[in-house]
Amino acid sequence: MVVYVEGVGMTKIDRHYDYSLKDLAANAAFAAIEQAGGVDGIDYLVFSSSLSSLQDNQLDTASYLATSLGLRGIKALNVEAGEASGLAAISVAKSLLESHQADKVLVIGAEKLNEFVSSKVYKQLQMLYDGDTKSFYNIGFAGDAAILMRLYMDTYNVDRELMSYWPALMHSNAKENPYAMLNFAIKPDKVAKSQILADPITLLDSYPLGDGAAAIVLSNKDMSSSPLAKISAIESSTGYGSIELSEDPLLFDSLSEAFRRISNIADTSNLDFIEIHDSFTITAMIILETLGLANRGKAAELVSTGYFSPGGKGPLANPSGGLKARGHPLGATGVYQIAESSLQVANKFPGVKANNAKKGLVVSLNGLGSSSYVALVEGV
Amino acid sequence: MSMDLSISRFWRKKEIIYKLNGAKCKSCGKVHYPPKNACPYCGSRELELVELPRRGKLISYTTIYAIPEGARHQSPIYYGLIDLGVTKITAELTDIVNANSLKKDMEVEATLRKTQEDRDAGLIYYVLKFRPVLVQK
Amino acid sequence: MATPKAGIHGWGAYIPIYRLPLSDIAKIWGWHPDQYKGLAVESKAIAGPDEDSLTMGYEAAYNAIKRSKIEPKKISAIFFGTESKPYAVKPSATIIGEALGITPFTMASDLEFACRAASEGMRSLIGMAASGLIDYGLAIGSDTAQANPGDVLEFTAASGAAAFVIGRTSNASAIIEDSVTFVTDTPDFWRRASQPYPLHGEGFTGEPAYFYHIENAVKALLERNGLKPSDFDYAIFHQPNGKFPVKVGQDLGFNMDQMKDGLVTPMIGNTYNASALMGLARVLDKAKPGQKILLAPFGSGAGSDAYLITVTDEVENRKPLAPTVEDYLNRKVLIDYASYAKSRSIIHVIK
Ligand SMILES: [Zn+2]
Repeated sequence: MVVYVEGVGMTKIDRHYDYSLKDLAANAAFAAIEQAGGVDGIDYLVFSSSLSSLQDNQLDTASYLATSLGLRGIKALNVEAGEASGLAAISVAKSLLESHQADKVLVIGAEKLNEFVSSKVYKQLQMLYDGDTKSFYNIGFAGDAAILMRLYMDTYNVDRELMSYWPALMHSNAKENPYAMLNFAIKPDKVAKSQILADPITLLDSYPLGDGAAAIVLSNKDMSSSPLAKISAIESSTGYGSIELSEDPLLFDSLSEAFRRISNIADTSNLDFIEIHDSFTITAMIILETLGLANRGKAAELVSTGYFSPGGKGPLANPSGGLKARGHPLGATGVYQIAESSLQVANKFPGVKANNAKKGLVVSLNGLGSSSYVALVEGV
Repeated sequence: MSMDLSISRFWRKKEIIYKLNGAKCKSCGKVHYPPKNACPYCGSRELELVELPRRGKLISYTTIYAIPEGARHQSPIYYGLIDLGVTKITAELTDIVNANSLKKDMEVEATLRKTQEDRDAGLIYYVLKFRPVLVQK
Repeated sequence: MATPKAGIHGWGAYIPIYRLPLSDIAKIWGWHPDQYKGLAVESKAIAGPDEDSLTMGYEAAYNAIKRSKIEPKKISAIFFGTESKPYAVKPSATIIGEALGITPFTMASDLEFACRAASEGMRSLIGMAASGLIDYGLAIGSDTAQANPGDVLEFTAASGAAAFVIGRTSNASAIIEDSVTFVTDTPDFWRRASQPYPLHGEGFTGEPAYFYHIENAVKALLERNGLKPSDFDYAIFHQPNGKFPVKVGQDLGFNMDQMKDGLVTPMIGNTYNASALMGLARVLDKAKPGQKILLAPFGSGAGSDAYLITVTDEVENRKPLAPTVEDYLNRKVLIDYASYAKSRSIIHVIK
């Protein structure tokens, strides 16, 4: 079943020291509600966040937030799936609409990653990875991705400099996006020279710690009036989420399965654009290859040729600037991706536009693929 | 008084963490670490604990400078993907003299080290890390 | 009454990879550049930032158990001798025992007697094994060796560990034929509860403490066994520096040929509870069947033990089963005072 995006709202991703989690959520939610034509009919709030219980010292945030937004009495629930929370929340909202548990759902993703100092946040972000052993180590948030990046470069004999075209493309796209945290351009050769977080991953291979919120109002066919876009399908799968367990860590098994599932129920060919989860340069490369958009070991080279750039032959990749440059406020990111994609197919995205975009694929995952979500956003 | 580190969560896993106890699936024969409630490869719940080899080879590795809270004195953190033959694991590496000494296929062996300490008064977590082998076989 | 005898079944050592040149200490604290020359030590072994007496003791014990060729579960007593316990209250011995697969049916405790606590553990195990109370026991000496920064003691205070699996005489690598302990109340060196570093009486640690106790213990052992220094192939003494053990040995009538293989402090400094015991580990790495060893650990406060040890044929089978002291001595990387200060928590940090 198809669900409709009635309205979207986003805050610029930034270090919002002067706004609380609820302030940011309200900012995005009120914009989405206004675009959707008001609060009438909204009967469910699905709230997505991953670290806010720790950073904001709050549980049952969805309920407190509902009352704080003037929506006391509606139903509300939290969804947490690590970095994939946003798309997981939208998937839940879609199920609520399909099962007629709800008629119109407000989905809000909000996250603040700047309430504590960075070393504490690195420790919190370590929770994205399998805690059974890793939680007793001090590997932070980039260790596993760094091991994966070196494995990728070793296995396929890919040069570090070739990997740097992705961050440069993301910054180039983000420069046009008023909601992006890092809206400045960089040259590829700056990437390898920037601060090393976990060798070979540098600061410019990674995402900035930002605060932000995005919201969408979703409805089913009966309730929809003048929607921006439709979400024709969402699929997901769980996976190893760990380099050591996976027999082939250079593909994300969960994404492969989620993509197979969505391809069975919807037409995923002829994509005009993609919004993918490029938490690190390496994550982007593996996603492109898992989706079959690049041959194995060839994603970096394909990116460097401009294939995914504006005007390129392939689908436009992350016109928002991606996690890399738009920013990655964990639990909000998936909601940003859907909001941006909805604006793309409505020809209303205030940044880099895909020409006559009719169809885009959104990919969100946690860590190295403990779960993967894919959504197909199409114009109406 | 402040205690950040869990007492029971570590204590419960001490056998696995101290001895590198993995699980072997009686159905498909594959070994994984740390043991899960069912085989991650075939779903069988027929698992037996096996002590993993304490020596292996580095498949991939990293030197981490983005250090989580409480570990600055151990910075940089070296971290590797290790092939133990029967299975692969990830673990912190130690006694690495400098980052350039890390090499693919380097032989490493397990040794007990401190990983996390709960400030000045709380618990100390002792976990197996891997270091370059002392004596080549 | 016949002297109860016991056997050393396995031995093991551990030395961390890092070495601090003593010249660095002299430079930082404004000592005369030749100040430490009389100590006959050039650099000292330093535990890394993720090491402590427990992790070092674990590895020495792991090596000792490998050489003993017994299942860890057969060990039913663990004595951990240290003066740098990670926990003031909470036995390190249970953590080491658990990590090595020895627990739960075992005695386990941390012993304190300055540098001879582990030796007290060995003496206890001899009696326990000889009486049949236990089949096998594990004695571990391990220290990160604290010294007040800037104190002369800092030149030698080093990190290392040694461990022994002791059991009945049959199938042992070496037989402990006899042992003697000599203790008095002599306040040469101490650390008050809650204080991070020990204090000492400088020259008072020498004659009335180190020399008096070792000489009395060794003389008693020789006398009651009707032996003279020339009956021994090796003589090993506690080694707070490179000079004292040589002097006490010569005073007692031993020569350098007997002492050189058991001297480890000149290479790595004084590893406190592992000091003389690492000397024994190194000697066992080299000794031939039938050779006789004199071992005399010392601990401040004060006391000394003297052991009469005879090497058996079995020693040759055990040597290759674990890394030797030489393997650890050869694995080294020089660090500076700042790295040492960081890894030994000398720099004050808000946690
Ligand atoms: Zn299986």
